[in-house]
Amino acid sequence: MVLLENVQRKLGPGVAFACDRFHAPEGARMALWGPSGCGKSTMLNLISGLLRPHAGVIRVDGQEIQKLSESALDAFRGERYGFIFQTFNLLAPFSAMKNVLIGMRFSDVIPEKEWKERAKAMLERVDLGHRLHAKPATLSVGERQRVAIARALVNRPRLIVADEPTGSLDPKTANAVMTLLLELCAEEKVTLLLVTHDRGIADRLPDLFDCSGLVKEGTS
Amino acid sequence: MSLWHIAWSYLWNRKLTTVMTVLSVALGVALISAVLTLREETQKRFEEEAQAFDLVVGAKGNALQLVLSTVYFLDSPVGNVARADIEKIAKLEDVDAVFPIGMGDTYKGYRIVGTVRELMDFKWGERRPYALAEGRYWEKPFEAVIGAGVAQDTGLKVGSTFTGMHGFVQGGGAEDHAEKPYKVVGVIALSGTPNDRAIFCDIQSVWDVHEHGAENGEPEAHPSDEVTAALVRLATPAQRPVLRKKINSEYNVTAAVPVLEIQKLYDQFLGMAKAVLLAIGYLVVVISSLSILIGLYMAILQRRRDLAIMRALGATRGEIFGAVLIEAFWVTLLGLVAGWALGALTCKLLGLYLATKLGFHIAAVSLSADLITAYSAVLLMGMIAGILPAWQAYRTDIARDLAEP
Repeated sequence: MVLLENVQRKLGPGVAFACDRFHAPEGARMALWGPSGCGKSTMLNLISGLLRPHAGVIRVDGQEIQKLSESALDAFRGERYGFIFQTFNLLAPFSAMKNVLIGMRFSDVIPEKEWKERAKAMLERVDLGHRLHAKPATLSVGERQRVAIARALVNRPRLIVADEPTGSLDPKTANAVMTLLLELCAEEKVTLLLVTHDRGIADRLPDLFDCSGLVKEGTS
Repeated sequence: MSLWHIAWSYLWNRKLTTVMTVLSVALGVALISAVLTLREETQKRFEEEAQAFDLVVGAKGNALQLVLSTVYFLDSPVGNVARADIEKIAKLEDVDAVFPIGMGDTYKGYRIVGTVRELMDFKWGERRPYALAEGRYWEKPFEAVIGAGVAQDTGLKVGSTFTGMHGFVQGGGAEDHAEKPYKVVGVIALSGTPNDRAIFCDIQSVWDVHEHGAENGEPEAHPSDEVTAALVRLATPAQRPVLRKKINSEYNVTAAVPVLEIQKLYDQFLGMAKAVLLAIGYLVVVISSLSILIGLYMAILQRRRDLAIMRALGATRGEIFGAVLIEAFWVTLLGLVAGWALGALTCKLLGLYLATKLGFHIAAVSLSADLITAYSAVLLMGMIAGILPAWQAYRTDIARDLAEP
């Protein structure tokens, strides 16, 4: 599903990301674990096409994404990926329902006539059927992350990339969100790559990739 | 959920800034709307009145002054002309009708216009500018028919009497013809023309008021030998230049074509005033465009993360660029609508004032070719103002903006 070979990316003077090989098979639930600054978020950005590699091959769902043009990469990202962020990254002017709708707006995966029904179903699945029209500012942090999970999955993506999704949550809420996320990824048969520095969270996933040493200093 | 909806939601999310920016655009648009509408409407009205008569004949002097004083009752008359000359002009070929005018007095600032009874029956197309609202026309000297504005302003009504003051300037020192009062016998229907603010009577009344014996060795005055001016109707407007030239060269008078004088006035003076006001209007719009630019630019800086999220969700650079440009469009469009309404209100209020003070009615703001051009220019400027912020949004660095706290 996801393959990185000899990927390099300069991050600054004398600092570079380098990954000789990484492979996550289809359906994997894999934690990208490591201490802060080890390069796990950079790796996630490279996998999701938010950063371009300076060398190497990144293959996602059979597509070498480093070869895609900007617009083709935008379309590919909209169709195949779902994003979950540490700070939820909901759009403040829009209700929970509209935040999820926007997840479908920028891709052609779900027919427009099904958008509302699908968005409502996803929000009900994450137990927010009663908060459809609530703005992000009025939601609790746990509810916000559940909206973000609904938005990430609404488009039936092939890959979920989650960057410290429990980093802003208290342990109890984090636990509930992780349970929900794993359940949903299994239901939707979607591959999950989850970045975390928390070994406890990482151990809840069946697969683990140790990112230590991906960022090297003193490189030319 | 379209880009239009997304753009609208972001504007709604910062209502105060949006309202202030819309208001600044609206002010410029209102100024432009009012200037163009008032210019067009006043010119149209002036020209309509000027078209009623083909020529105005008066004493040698300034043609514009002659037109303003005789057709619009706005300026002082140039002087008097020999009645004999007017009678000769009336007999010229192609002259359909001549209406002599005698002026010299006012009542509370409203001009007393002596003329012949036939003028009251004057028709111009479907219009009867001297039609009565009540009462009757005069049947003898010192019976007067007053304009609707005069009746409203002075309280005069059918049966009232009044006396004229000599001269055209209100205030002290003027001679009061108290011994020769007028009686109001009719009120002319409100027409939105200068007739609303004039008092009409038999020209004999004017001659009688000013009949004097010899004073201090001066020769005896015979006012009935003279008239102030005459309104002339020709068989066809095509004869205007020919008759004007003929009358000016063969008689000791000035003949003027009212519509030409009014057009010259607009071209020379009011045209310049319009250009200055329009320039101010466009300047306000340019400043408003800058406020659109600054407002949107700041908004884009503040929501770089939102733009990055949308990009991560699959939005293309073009869609992000378009969404911001649409915001500029919304702001400009709202400014146009609000400005149009504000301009219409300004014209309405000014129209009410002008109708009572000058007898001119101003129609509501309508979409003339000039206004459509001006509104298109405003819309274009608004869109241009949106390009820089849209470009800033277009260049979103997704990874960097998502990483920022």
